[in-house]
Amino acid sequence: MRRFILPLLLAVTGLILFGQGGYIHAKALFAQILLERAFTETIATGRETKPWSWADTWPVARIEVKRIHASTIVLAGSSGQALAFGPGHVENTPDAGERGVAVYSAHRDTHFRFLQNVVIGDEIDVTRRDGRKFRYRADSTSIVRFDASGIDPLRDGYELVLSTCWPFEALTPGPDRYLLHATLIGPVP
Amino acid sequence: MTICGEIQPDRRARLSRKMRVILFFAFEGAAALLIGFAALFLSLPAWSAERTQTAFLKPGDARSGSLLLKTEDGYADASRLGIDVDITVSGPTVRARVTQVFRNPTQDWVEAVYVYPLPSGGAVDTLKMVVGDRVIVGDIKERQQARIIYEQAARNGQKAALTEQERPNIFTNSVANIGPGETVLVQIEYQEPVQQSGNEFSLRLPMVVGPRYNPAPVVQSVDFRPGGGGWGASKSDPVPDRDRISPQVLDPATNAPVNPTTITVRLQAGFPLGEIKSHHHAIKTESPDGSTRIIKLAEGAVPADRDFELTWKPAAEKAPSVGLFREHVGGNDYLLAFVTPPSVEQNDRKPLPREVIFVIDNSGSMGGVSIIQAKASLTYALARLQPTDRFNVIRFDHTMEMLFPASVPADRERVGQATAFVGALQANGGTEMVPAMRAALSDTAAGGDTNYVRQVVFLTDGAIGNEQQLFETINALRGRSRIFMVGIGSAPNTHLMTRAAELGRGAFTHIGSVEQVEERMRGLFSKLENPAVTNLTAKFSDAAADITPSAIPDLYRDEPLILAAKLDKLAGSVEIKGRIGDRPWVVTLPLANAAEGKGLSKLWARRKITDAEVARTTRQESPEDADKTILALALDHQLVTRLTSLVAVDKTPSRPEGEPLKVSELPINLPAGWDFAKVFGERPLLPVTPMERRAEAGEARVQVAALKRAAPAVTAAPSTVQLPKTATDAELKMILGVIFLIFSLVLFAFNRRQALIP
Repeated sequence: MRRFILPLLLAVTGLILFGQGGYIHAKALFAQILLERAFTETIATGRETKPWSWADTWPVARIEVKRIHASTIVLAGSSGQALAFGPGHVENTPDAGERGVAVYSAHRDTHFRFLQNVVIGDEIDVTRRDGRKFRYRADSTSIVRFDASGIDPLRDGYELVLSTCWPFEALTPGPDRYLLHATLIGPVP
Repeated sequence: MTICGEIQPDRRARLSRKMRVILFFAFEGAAALLIGFAALFLSLPAWSAERTQTAFLKPGDARSGSLLLKTEDGYADASRLGIDVDITVSGPTVRARVTQVFRNPTQDWVEAVYVYPLPSGGAVDTLKMVVGDRVIVGDIKERQQARIIYEQAARNGQKAALTEQERPNIFTNSVANIGPGETVLVQIEYQEPVQQSGNEFSLRLPMVVGPRYNPAPVVQSVDFRPGGGGWGASKSDPVPDRDRISPQVLDPATNAPVNPTTITVRLQAGFPLGEIKSHHHAIKTESPDGSTRIIKLAEGAVPADRDFELTWKPAAEKAPSVGLFREHVGGNDYLLAFVTPPSVEQNDRKPLPREVIFVIDNSGSMGGVSIIQAKASLTYALARLQPTDRFNVIRFDHTMEMLFPASVPADRERVGQATAFVGALQANGGTEMVPAMRAALSDTAAGGDTNYVRQVVFLTDGAIGNEQQLFETINALRGRSRIFMVGIGSAPNTHLMTRAAELGRGAFTHIGSVEQVEERMRGLFSKLENPAVTNLTAKFSDAAADITPSAIPDLYRDEPLILAAKLDKLAGSVEIKGRIGDRPWVVTLPLANAAEGKGLSKLWARRKITDAEVARTTRQESPEDADKTILALALDHQLVTRLTSLVAVDKTPSRPEGEPLKVSELPINLPAGWDFAKVFGERPLLPVTPMERRAEAGEARVQVAALKRAAPAVTAAPSTVQLPKTATDAELKMILGVIFLIFSLVLFAFNRRQALIP
């Protein structure tokens, strides 16, 4: 029986690791379903609606890229915990449609994986929690260090930045960030 | 068949082995997902518990957090502010409208608190709050009551603004419930008299409160109330409101200047104008006609980090020596008179020899250019001493040093020694002004040598919070000494200068740059060396008058007498009498000739309030009586004072229930020319990036100090967004997991085969 101990141990370890990885993806997927529901309610009632009773973050916007059928619900704040469930609206940057640079951030391997498929010229729609929708056009990308983004959130002009980790294929976290810059075209009726 | 029969069990065995492997994977996959979901629900409550502490700050916690709303990554910038000042000078009065634009770029509901200076003689009478297209006009209320109204509104989610006086020249505006991304305008208006000195008229607009030194509450003093039966309360803190006058100051080495300010001055002097000069800012001047000028800042918005000083002269050789203005308000007539006594040249008599005590502040707040100006001024003053004079030099920071044990004759050797002493001074340490003033006023010759005129020349930026202690010291010890204040630096404490000079029966002057040293010190010396106009009285022939200042102070060379009076009727004349040196001087002004002026009643009331505050300091009136007088005047004339505040409340609530309100104390610039390390202690050494000291103006109305940065690749800048970590190890873990599983499977299979072989 002893000879089964090693493979069993390996199997359990593998199981846990795979489970943890799967859990991250499952969480990301499952939370988006709840978030979608909460966001619809937010727009309908005009009140902040928590996706589940014990959550202390709430959906604030929906980002869509129609061409590649990508859609994701954004949460308030960009803490590590919030980012597990959805993209975060980075603190102290303006809302979409306001003057300045609205910055949204998400994981490269879950919610913002689609960023690698977004090309210059794509239209990005952002629906705010008040139900207003703004259309942006992707106009450039850049790669910066996390602490030298060069983004002044109160800059003149109406801009949007979607940020995620770079490179997309890497397995370990790194200091580089991929930024997709977009400029407001106007509100979508 | 047999072949088939032989093969079949074999195939079944193979099939079942395949099935077993597939089942194994399927089972493991399902288990992994199950574990994942279990973990999701188990770990979430723990996460939310950990978050609640940081996400919802109690208001009490937030206050100590000051401006920087901390987030997880430790960055954030809170509300931003733009200032627009519109000044109209009409004849003798200055009417200023200060608009503060509060912008909240954060996602939270914010209460903004901004501490700002105003001229110390300014009468603040109007507060307006503009929310969207609505204008809410503030009411004057007793201070406590106003605060209760404001706090109630803040709790109810209504927008509200509150203007409070911390010192006669320091005010606080609080604005509650500024929504995410919202902009609220707060407008205050004040009135002040034009300053005149000889041929020159001036106005001064302070823009920043220099960081004050607040002495530590070490020594307790006891306050015995009359009729308290011997029981008193110990006053343990010389600056009880230290928190209210100490906003966060940004280090200019690591922060771009904030609070961009635009200034427009409409100057209607009432006489043809000659030279106009702004001493510390570049200006553009337009002249629609001979006696009107419109003055704007040449480069648009400037950071609020130094006083704006504007002087103008008449085109004529001599300025008018008399000005008389009247206003009719609420059944009373108010009169404002400017009279400049003639300067009498005294060739007939030698001036009295003087004993001059120079006091120089070399505390940390004087670091940078201030100490250079102070040293240059004092060196100039030493050179002007006559051999017949006596003098001494005192320097102070938190310590104090007298150059000579007692005053010495101003011979060459002693003056040289003093000049060397002054030249070696370094600015450092705290500002304990009271002991220095006490030493300067201790008159060793009190009994005997009164042939000397005793003068104290005090050079400081006045950056202290315990002004009241200094005033009490002056009042108690002044004796026959006269105190001349020299305000140094880009943002001197004008309230301290004027009040100390008034209590010390002297004069004051400002030196804001090295270029001004000689001109201003020459002016000061002509005041020191020439006889004062003394024993001044004013008498109205027909009208019953309430005159302020109640006791007219002595006037020095080039100073005008400024008199405000409330009259029952505008008839007859006013006779002003005095003595210039030993000659009598009389002037009679017929009231019928007075020109129409604006806001004179407010100036009269403000001056009366100052009289009451002085009487309170000098104990000529009990604190209760003085407070009663101040309160009545303030409520009557709608003025902000120590006891009254303006409060404006928007009737409709705007903040939804349940949304927290965060307090954000707006930071201020370090006054120009100050040395941050000298005031706040050493900071970790940073690579100094040269930065343009200029605040950027945004849209016409909403101005925001934006960082001008050429390349985004510079080191972490305070205003750039720090991006969160956006990579998970999900893939890594899954890949590792699969590798482990495959490996275990291989081992499993290997072990099984070994087990089957024997």
